[in-house]
Amino acid sequence: MKVIIDRRPIWVIVLVRSLRPIFFLALGFIFWYLINIPTPSGLTIQGQRALALFVVCLILWVTDALPLAITSLMAIVMVPLLGVMDKKAAYALFGNEAVFFILGAFILSAAVMHSGLASRIAVLIMDRFGNTPKGLLASIFLLAAVLSFFMSEHAVAAMLFPIVLEIAKGLNLKPGKSNYAKSLFLALAWGCVIGGVATFLGGARVPLAAGMLKEATGITIGFFEYTMVVFPTVVILLFIGYIGLTRFFPQDIQDIHLAKDVFARKIKGLGKMGYTEYAVGILMLITISSWLLFSRMAGIANIAIIAVVALFVLKLVRWKDIEEYVNWGIILMYGGAITLGAAMEKSGAAAWLANTVIGDWANSPVLVIAVFSLLTILLTEGMSNAAVIAILLPVSIGMAGRFNLDPQIITYAIAIPAGLAFCFPMSTPANAIAVSSGYITARDMAKAGIVMMITAWIVFNIMAKVYWPILGIKI
Amino acid sequence: MKKTKTYLHNPGYLKIDLMLCGIRLNENAVKSLGIDLSTGYTGITGGLDIILPYKTWVNAPFLEDFAKNSPYELIQKDGKAFIKREGESVKVKIIPKPDFYKLKTTTGIPLSKIGNMHGSYVAITPDTRCEFFNMNIECRYCAGNFNSKGGVVYSVEEVLETVEAAYKEGKAEIVYLSIGFSETPDGGIEFLKPYIKAIKKHFNTIVAVEALPPKENKFIDETYAVGADSVLYNMEIFDEKLFKEICPGRDELIGRNRYINALKYAAKVFPNGTVASNLIVGLEPAESTMRGIDFLTDLGVVPILPIYRPVSSVKLLSYKIPSLDEIAPVYKHLYHAVKKNRINMNWVRDISVITTPIEAMFFTGDMSRFKTMMHKFYKSKLGLKTVWGLSTLRRKLRVREVGEG
Repeated sequence: MKVIIDRRPIWVIVLVRSLRPIFFLALGFIFWYLINIPTPSGLTIQGQRALALFVVCLILWVTDALPLAITSLMAIVMVPLLGVMDKKAAYALFGNEAVFFILGAFILSAAVMHSGLASRIAVLIMDRFGNTPKGLLASIFLLAAVLSFFMSEHAVAAMLFPIVLEIAKGLNLKPGKSNYAKSLFLALAWGCVIGGVATFLGGARVPLAAGMLKEATGITIGFFEYTMVVFPTVVILLFIGYIGLTRFFPQDIQDIHLAKDVFARKIKGLGKMGYTEYAVGILMLITISSWLLFSRMAGIANIAIIAVVALFVLKLVRWKDIEEYVNWGIILMYGGAITLGAAMEKSGAAAWLANTVIGDWANSPVLVIAVFSLLTILLTEGMSNAAVIAILLPVSIGMAGRFNLDPQIITYAIAIPAGLAFCFPMSTPANAIAVSSGYITARDMAKAGIVMMITAWIVFNIMAKVYWPILGIKI
Repeated sequence: MKKTKTYLHNPGYLKIDLMLCGIRLNENAVKSLGIDLSTGYTGITGGLDIILPYKTWVNAPFLEDFAKNSPYELIQKDGKAFIKREGESVKVKIIPKPDFYKLKTTTGIPLSKIGNMHGSYVAITPDTRCEFFNMNIECRYCAGNFNSKGGVVYSVEEVLETVEAAYKEGKAEIVYLSIGFSETPDGGIEFLKPYIKAIKKHFNTIVAVEALPPKENKFIDETYAVGADSVLYNMEIFDEKLFKEICPGRDELIGRNRYINALKYAAKVFPNGTVASNLIVGLEPAESTMRGIDFLTDLGVVPILPIYRPVSSVKLLSYKIPSLDEIAPVYKHLYHAVKKNRINMNWVRDISVITTPIEAMFFTGDMSRFKTMMHKFYKSKLGLKTVWGLSTLRRKLRVREVGEG
């Protein structure tokens, strides 16, 4: 730990330190006020309480005043305490399929990382296709995206970062100045972001949305079904993203033979492919195929957990190896968000809130989707994408009923844009990792990211209007 | 006659004159005042602790040869102690050596070897080695407790036992930790950290640390963060040339500029009035000391002015002890400089072996401050507790620990 002495005037420090207790007092007051005002017409007393809790959680999620997981745990406890749901029912929601799918996905991703298979694939692909500056840029961008189809995008960013950093250093690129270095790190971040929305595996937010939808309406979204809906959008965004990378940061390097030395060193360091890598690779192929083919029948969580069991039966990983890769906080967070979402839905608070807030002016399904996707894509730039889903999905599902809109559609309209965070380091860990390199500044990222964000929103809405009906999803 | 009166009845003058001349004690006074001569009354800080009027502490030598010719005599009348000079006397209080000096740690070390009382301070040097001695570049006036050959290291537990004994007896109010030079970049604070932490964990007390200026300012931050309420980086000599001559180790291995920069930085980190530096009076011309006072106070640093008193083991025997008339203007200057720079004078308090800035006020002839409620409050136990509480709160507010990333 490093010690920092705050040398501001003491009154400034006292004022700043007082903000936290004042904030929580104010939050307590808001909660008390919302609970005690006369119940508005159309809302039940349980709905009013669920809404009060939702507002408190929303503020805590947005401000990050408490860790996301702790806010979610608080929500699980408060739902039965406020009489919105039965105690058993509230805690049972934590056993949701989505939570166990996320757990399984984390463990599988950890096994792929730990075995060294992910690094090997990454280095070999970059070595094979990265013969020119543009080839190398494209291979990093696409590799990050494709790996994020199968693993958590955060894990992919963390795994590829040291390799890209070594390439930048190997090529003697100047931090903060080299356009090519900026494009390499942005390719890493954007590749992960775009690829991360392609399947259930890229981030835990899609399973969360699917879980919330199932709890609220009983409707399930399959692994294959989701991928079919989103995949063309991903392909178009990857294409536009690559154009953007080369336009925003025109190439200022011609020779990349020094990067080849980096790959040669890495490949030598990896040695020959061992039993564990083969076995993990085969197991992953079987698992992904099962998700694509049998997810509706067998359930995505079941497939994930069976694959995890197989990992341990075959002794491919040890529990100790897994523990450091599993984000237990996210699992707790999702359990709580699903509980709160279900409480909002079942108490009628979600529908009431949707009608009251945007019911009067969002007068068509297309507009509803456009508004929610815009809200989502804007919010996700500044806060956790899971928190965005937890906040917007219950309200939007409430809106769906009003327009006879399939709740599945509104779930896509939230779950997909929630992953598309291009602008800021705090938007998603992949962006933060890229900026932490020192080769690209937050300002560079924001400049290119804002254009990409607007483009992504437009592409998403065009695809919803044009492509989804081909799949039978009518708005 | 006029001067005698001034000296005797002005605690500031009297304190310094007693430190310079010592005091005579006859056998009757020794007996009736219960002074046990077996408990270490020799050495540079081993004299008799006396409280003069206005609660002014002084450590007066009485066993040394020069004390036999002192104009001052300690007499006893009706069980009360007085200092007498040329027929005039002033009532004082004698502080016997603490009882804990007779105790030993559980490891068998006499507590008097580990901790020494100087007024309300219990001074402890957990590691008595100083590498300057090994390189023959030790400070030429040094006859203190640092020595490379005979140096010892006391454990945290032994130090804690000493502090506990001093507090139980009600003698100590402030813990003063010091360390000699070692070739580490941290100025010794890494070594002292566990001691400071342990003392702060077990006692609600103020801890002052005397160390060497570290190479990097982050160690000054850590000194404050770990629990030191006050820090001293002692320049000792302000004059550049004399600094080189008298403190060759400090000059070669630390550098005068580093002293200045470290003090400047520390004054911004620690509370007002808690960063101090010694300037020894008598080892450089008075004008130079006064320039040093101005320089340090401009930085927000409290100059502390011990008087040079050679003992047989030091290398600077040829220096003569300055006279009170030479010293008095320096202390007067000290008070004005500290006041002008609005430096809090209440932190450095109740030390018997040096004259504190607030005691320097006696040399201005204005004693009004000693009668104010605020001064009395600061001097009280409650005042000390308040100072400790505010210091702890300030640290809590100012110190933040962050991950290295």
